[in-house]
Amino acid sequence: KKMTNDNLNKLLVFCVLFCAQKTSIVHGAQALETKVALLLHAEPENPKCFAEGMSDLTCFWEEDEERAGSADQYSFIYTYQNENSSECSITALPAAGGKRLYFCRLSQTQLFVPLDIRVFRDDLLIHNRSLFIEAVFLLDPPANLTLTSTGMQGQLKASWLPPSLKYMGDSMMYEVSYAMAGSHIGKVEEVQASSELILRGLQSGTKYKVRIRVKLDGISYSGYWSAWTDPVLMETMPGDLDPLIVSLSLIISLVLTLLSLLVLMSHRRFLLKKIWPIIPTPESKFQGLFKVYGGDFQEWLGHSTGGLWLRPTYFYSEEFPVPLEVLSEVSLGPALPSSALPPKASEALGEEEDEDKKLKRVDPALMEGWRKTPQEHWTMDQLRAIHQHPAPWTQSSLLESHDAYVTLNAQNHSVEEPLDDILEETLPLQVLFASGRTSSESRSDLGSVQQSSGSGRLSSQSSFEYPNHTWPSKGPGYTYMAVADSGVSMDYSPMSSNKIDDIGKGVIYTNEYKNEIPAHRRPIGTPIHFAF
Amino acid sequence: IQFTQMMSIRPVVVLLTVLQWAGRGLPSPVRPICDPRVLDRFIMEARDTETALRGCKAGCGVTGTFVVPLTNVDFVVWETKDTEEQALEVQSGMSLFGQALGAVRESVSRVAVQILIDNNKSNIHSLGQVLRSLHIQDLPLPPAPAVGDLVTRKVSSLSELLHVHTNFLRGKVRLLLTNAPACQQNST
Repeated sequence: KKMTNDNLNKLLVFCVLFCAQKTSIVHGAQALETKVALLLHAEPENPKCFAEGMSDLTCFWEEDEERAGSADQYSFIYTYQNENSSECSITALPAAGGKRLYFCRLSQTQLFVPLDIRVFRDDLLIHNRSLFIEAVFLLDPPANLTLTSTGMQGQLKASWLPPSLKYMGDSMMYEVSYAMAGSHIGKVEEVQASSELILRGLQSGTKYKVRIRVKLDGISYSGYWSAWTDPVLMETMPGDLDPLIVSLSLIISLVLTLLSLLVLMSHRRFLLKKIWPIIPTPESKFQGLFKVYGGDFQEWLGHSTGGLWLRPTYFYSEEFPVPLEVLSEVSLGPALPSSALPPKASEALGEEEDEDKKLKRVDPALMEGWRKTPQEHWTMDQLRAIHQHPAPWTQSSLLESHDAYVTLNAQNHSVEEPLDDILEETLPLQVLFASGRTSSESRSDLGSVQQSSGSGRLSSQSSFEYPNHTWPSKGPGYTYMAVADSGVSMDYSPMSSNKIDDIGKGVIYTNEYKNEIPAHRRPIGTPIHFAF
Repeated sequence: IQFTQMMSIRPVVVLLTVLQWAGRGLPSPVRPICDPRVLDRFIMEARDTETALRGCKAGCGVTGTFVVPLTNVDFVVWETKDTEEQALEVQSGMSLFGQALGAVRESVSRVAVQILIDNNKSNIHSLGQVLRSLHIQDLPLPPAPAVGDLVTRKVSSLSELLHVHTNFLRGKVRLLLTNAPACQQNST
């Protein structure tokens, strides 16, 4: 067991040594290849020679494979100044690209003295060169290139091991190339006779790629640039906020804030108006309404001297019903007295009592006229007669339109009570009710009256007249039409007389209407029911 | 070019001259001059002189042969020599150059050439001071011929003389200075 252990150890050591040698040989071969490639590029003269250390010289030249001869055909003769010539043995090696390289290596050299080299091929001089060996140094690249942080922003310290050559440490010159990782554009810094360099002006928090090469400074010794080392990567310290940038941005934001404040202050009023718009109040239109009478419109109306003048504008405002004008009457009997024509709404905008009286005055005549023909059907003759006597019709042209005109008969039952307290209802809404809307055949409104169930009576009543929402049924002869006034438009829909009972019993609100009149007032939106 | 270089080298020359003058009566300066850049400057100036006078017609009017030291350095052989031996080689070589440049100065008529030669001569003197600072003793002038024969040769033109001069400075003198024992303690 012990024997095998020892043997194994020996084998292991042997392997290690062998492998190390092999790697060193491989390394050496690789280094030679690199140097050959470098010199082929950098040196125009032949043969190309370089010194790696203090007492060696390697010379070579290149030939095409086709024209190349064997190594025996060539002779390398070198002569130092004031000395006899010597010959160097040549070795041939194949190279890439169909070429052949011929090498000569001297292991003992003299520096600072001219060396004469001549190469012969079959006694024919093919190359001739004179050189100083101390001027053709081609060193190995520096070893152990390491990057460390200096502890400061945007800096990296590069350190390396100089080539171990006696007498030449202080003659060495280094070139450090650094670039951001991934970028091809880099910077180069030179340093003499040193083994470290601090790279400054780097970006914070970025990875940098650094490599280095060496050359002799050329005062005593000179040569070619060595090959670049393998690049080493290192990330710089993450960046703090650049104080300059911070201060500049603070100043700029300050300036902007001041400017915006200035703008805001100068447009203060405009902005306030936009953000908090002034809620309009009608106080200006109604002097004293809110301040003196506390919003009591009736009182204000009664007591204000300028109230009459205000009424038209008041009357035409959104919150109050649209006045209806009498445009024509339907007269089935003899001509009605012209005075029977209901006055226009604007004229009737007087006292409540006046209106009532007018209505009372007018309507009986109307009613009587109509009662005379209680059950008569309207015939075309009658219609024609009416047509031919347009005198009762004040605005017959208007009738020909399809608009509905409603006359409010305020005479009936409702006269007594509550017209007083209902301001809007005293408005003499006088509408000539034409059922022409329901018929598209006849242009004349009168023609559509034929649709009536034949009662021959045309009257209209407003539900305003029936504060308790009782709807007296006029009888089966009546056709009722429901009008819903939303304050914006009036909606007419025919109802059968049978239905009326139902309607009359219930509370009918077709819509709600918002206004500023106190709640105890009747809202305008109460539907107006008309019957004819 | 030479004028500005002379201006730049003046302070060093003055310093070294003072030291030399002071050194005649006093022992060698205590502080050794180990900065390689001192010698580098001498080498550059010698190279510039060589380049400037290379295009000189008819050798700038300089005739005759000059004895110069050998400049070749075999490192393996060099390292076997001790410092004294190396110092002897260097100092004998420096004295040879001093003599040769003195002879050149006599035969040169152009003022510009004279200035350059004078500059090189003063540099040689300065080098002597540097060597003295490193506790390398001076050789008595003129050098012993026996030593000179082994390590000398003859040149016949000014350009070759200057070329050898440059090589000598770059090689042996530099090796001696950079490896002087007095400097080895200070350097890392």
